[in-house]
Amino acid sequence: MSQGKLWMGFAVIMGISMSAARAQTADQQSADQKIQQLEQKVDALDQQIKIDERKKELEAEDAASKAQNAATATADTSGFTIKSNDGNFLLKIGADLQVDNRAFLGQGAGAGTDGILLRRVRPTISGTVYKYVDYFFRPDFGQGTTIIYDAYIELKYFSKAKVRVGKFKPPVGLERLQSDDDTSFVERGLPTLLVPSRDIGYQISGDLLPNQLNYAVGVFNGVPDNGLSDAAVSGHRDYDARLFLTPFNGTSVKALSGLGFGSGVDGGGVDGEPLPSYKTFGQTTFFTFASGVTEAGHRTRLTPQGYYYAGPFGILSEYTLTEEGLKKGLVQRDVAYRAWQVAVSCILTGEKKSFLSPTPKKSFDPLHGGWGAVELAARTGEFSAEHGVFNYGFASTLTSPRTAREWVGGVNWFLNRLVRVSLDYGLTNFGGGAAASLGGNRAPERALIGRFQINFI
Amino acid sequence: MRFGAILLAVSVAFAGGTVRLLNVSYDPTRELYQNINAAFAKQWKAKTGADVVINQSHGGSGSQARAVIDGLQADVVTLALSYDIDAIAEKTGLLPKNWQSRLPDNSAPYTSTIVFLVRKGNPKRIRDWNDLVRPGISVITPNPKTSGGARWNYLAAWGYALRQNNNDQNKAKDFVGRVYKNVPVLDSGARGATTTFVQRGIGDVLLAWENEAYLALNELGKDKVEIVTPSVSILAEPPVAVVDKTAARHGTAAVAKAYVDFLYSPEGQEIEARSYYRPRSKEVAAKYDKQFPHLTLFTVDEVFGGWQDAQKTHFAEGGTFDKIYQPGR
Repeated sequence: MSQGKLWMGFAVIMGISMSAARAQTADQQSADQKIQQLEQKVDALDQQIKIDERKKELEAEDAASKAQNAATATADTSGFTIKSNDGNFLLKIGADLQVDNRAFLGQGAGAGTDGILLRRVRPTISGTVYKYVDYFFRPDFGQGTTIIYDAYIELKYFSKAKVRVGKFKPPVGLERLQSDDDTSFVERGLPTLLVPSRDIGYQISGDLLPNQLNYAVGVFNGVPDNGLSDAAVSGHRDYDARLFLTPFNGTSVKALSGLGFGSGVDGGGVDGEPLPSYKTFGQTTFFTFASGVTEAGHRTRLTPQGYYYAGPFGILSEYTLTEEGLKKGLVQRDVAYRAWQVAVSCILTGEKKSFLSPTPKKSFDPLHGGWGAVELAARTGEFSAEHGVFNYGFASTLTSPRTAREWVGGVNWFLNRLVRVSLDYGLTNFGGGAAASLGGNRAPERALIGRFQINFI
Repeated sequence: MRFGAILLAVSVAFAGGTVRLLNVSYDPTRELYQNINAAFAKQWKAKTGADVVINQSHGGSGSQARAVIDGLQADVVTLALSYDIDAIAEKTGLLPKNWQSRLPDNSAPYTSTIVFLVRKGNPKRIRDWNDLVRPGISVITPNPKTSGGARWNYLAAWGYALRQNNNDQNKAKDFVGRVYKNVPVLDSGARGATTTFVQRGIGDVLLAWENEAYLALNELGKDKVEIVTPSVSILAEPPVAVVDKTAARHGTAAVAKAYVDFLYSPEGQEIEARSYYRPRSKEVAAKYDKQFPHLTLFTVDEVFGGWQDAQKTHFAEGGTFDKIYQPGR
C-alpha cells in the first residue's frame, strides 16, 4: 500500500469518527435540553402543587377564623339565643305564656266570673349590643289587650352605676321587682297593689358592695298605684330610690346568707292623675274611688321589705304605706293606705328556695324517674284605707271596703326550669264595702286559680 | 413625667401589684418587642422599683386597629402605618387626632423599608422592581386589604413605576397590575407571606419588611435565601402611640408614656437596630451603617400625599387595588 493511500484511508477513518462524535454530541445536547425542559416542567408543576396546597391551607385558616368569629345560635333554659363569638352582641328571644283557670267558690257579691283566660302573653326580645348596652322589649297581649310592659335600654359599662332608660319596673316594691315566674303565687300580694307596676324614666343602679349592697335611684313620670301608664299626665315627676342589703351573702355566716332586707321609697307631685282601683287575689275590683276624685298635691310611698331563705324554706315580707293628696270639689286632703303581707314557702323535693324560682334536680321525665320540683306556699296580708278616705267622700263604704284581709295557699309544680303548673286558693275577707242591710261587709271572695305557665327570657 | 412615673410606681408598690401594659402591634414585630419589653421592664424597675409586665398582641395591622376600635384594651399601639392609628383616633376618640405630632419623627421611632428575599444564588436574576413583572416570575406579597406591610409593598412598587415613567399614573397602575399578575397567592399578613415563601417553598421572590427579610435570612441561613435591595424603595415609618383614655382608665398613663419614650432612647434604638429596624438616632444609625444597604427612599407623603389619600385611592373598597388585582395562574 502506497503512503498516499495510507493517508487517504486514515483521513476517511478520521472523518467517519469525527462525524460520529459530532452526531453523538448533538444527541447529548438534545438530551440535556430535554432533561432541562423536563426539570423546568417538574419545577413548575411542583410550584403549582405547592400553590394549590397553600391556597387550601389559607382557605382553611380563613374558614377557621370565620368560624371563630361566627355567631352561635343556642337553645337552652335561657331561651333562644344568637350570640357573636366575642359575646359583645346578643339577641335573645323569649316568651312568657300563662293560661289560667279561675273559679270563684260561693256566691259573694263581688265574685268574679269563672273562666279560662290568657293571663299573660308576653313575647320578649332582649340582648346586648357593643358589649355594654343591653336592651329589653316585652309587650303583653294577654286578656285581650296590647300593652308594652317593658321597653328599655341599659348602659352597663360601670357595674356600680348602670344607667337604664325607658319603661320598666321602678325600684320600689320587693315583690313587684320579682319576676312573675319567680313568685310563689299566681297573683301578687296586697302590698304590691300600692306600688307602681311600670313607669317611664331614668334609673341608675348597681352593687355598691358586690352581691351585698344594691342601690337604685330614678326619676319617672309617676303612675298611680299598680299603674303602668305610657304617658305623663302632669308635669310632675316621681323620684324613686331603693336600698337593699344581703349582708351575709358570700360570707362564712352560712345560716344568714339568704337574708335580705331594705326599703324602697317613692315621692313626687300629683295633679289630676287618674286614680287606681284595687283588686283581690281573684283579680276582681274591690276598691274604687268616688267619681270626681282626682289626685292633687303630693304622693309618697314607703316599702320596707325583706326575705330570708334557708335550704328549702323561704319567707318574704313587705309593708307598703302610700300617702297621697286627693281632691274632690273644694275638698283636698292627704290620705293614706297601708298593706302588708307575710309569705312562706317550702320546696318538698329538696331544691333550695331563693328569690328566683327553683331549678328542679330532675326535670319532668317520669319514665326516667324525673318528676320536677314541688313547692308549697302560703301567705296572709291585709290592705287598709284610713277613715279619712271615706270621711271626706273620696270613697264610699257601701262599695269600697276599708280593709281586705287575704289568706292564700298554693302548690307549685315545676316540671323543669321553664314550665310550671300552679294551683292556688285564696280567701279574702272584707271590712266594709256593703250596705248595712247586707251586713255592712262585702261578701268574702273564695278564688281557686289554676295556671299552666311557660317562661323563658 | 418622671414625678408622675415615680408617683405611679410608689402607689403600685403600696398596692403590692404589678403594672400591666398591653401593646397592640402588627405582625413582624414580635421579636423586636420581646427584646424591647425585657429591657424596658428592667429599666423601669431600676428607676421606680416597680414591676411592669408588657403583654403583646400581634396580627395584621388593619385587623389590630379594628380590634382596638372594637374594644381591645390597648394601652399602647405600635402599628404598621399611621392610617391605622388615625382610624382608632377617629372612631373611638381614645387618643387625640393629633397623636402623631406628640412624639418626634412623626411618632415613628424607627423606620424600615421594603426589600426582596430571593432563593440562594438568585436563580431568576431579580435585581430591581422591573424584574417582578417578567413572565414566569412568581412574587409573594400579602393582601394589601388586610396587611399593613402589603400596603407598603404595593406603594413601593407604585412609587418605583412613577419614577421610571415620569410620574405617569396610568403606567404605574399598569406596572403594579403586572406585578400582582405574578402573585399566585395572597396571604393576609406579612408573617403568613414569609411562611408561604420560606416554609412552603413557593415563589421566586418575597416582598418583605427589611427586618423580616433579615430574620428569615438568619433563621434559614445564607445558603438558602438572599436579600436583594432594589434601587429605590419606600421609607416605612411604623408609628407608635399611647392610647390615652384606655391607659388613663387602667392607671397606666405614666408607664405607657415612658414605654413609648424608651423606644427613642439610646438603648431602645440599639435594640431596634439589632432587630434590623433602621434607628432614628444618628449615633446608633452610624454604628449600624454597614448593616443597612444604602438606597433611594421616598415617603408616602412625598409620593402619595399621605396615608389618608393613599388609602382612599388605592385600598378603599373599589380603589385601584380592587381594579388591578387578578389572581395569577
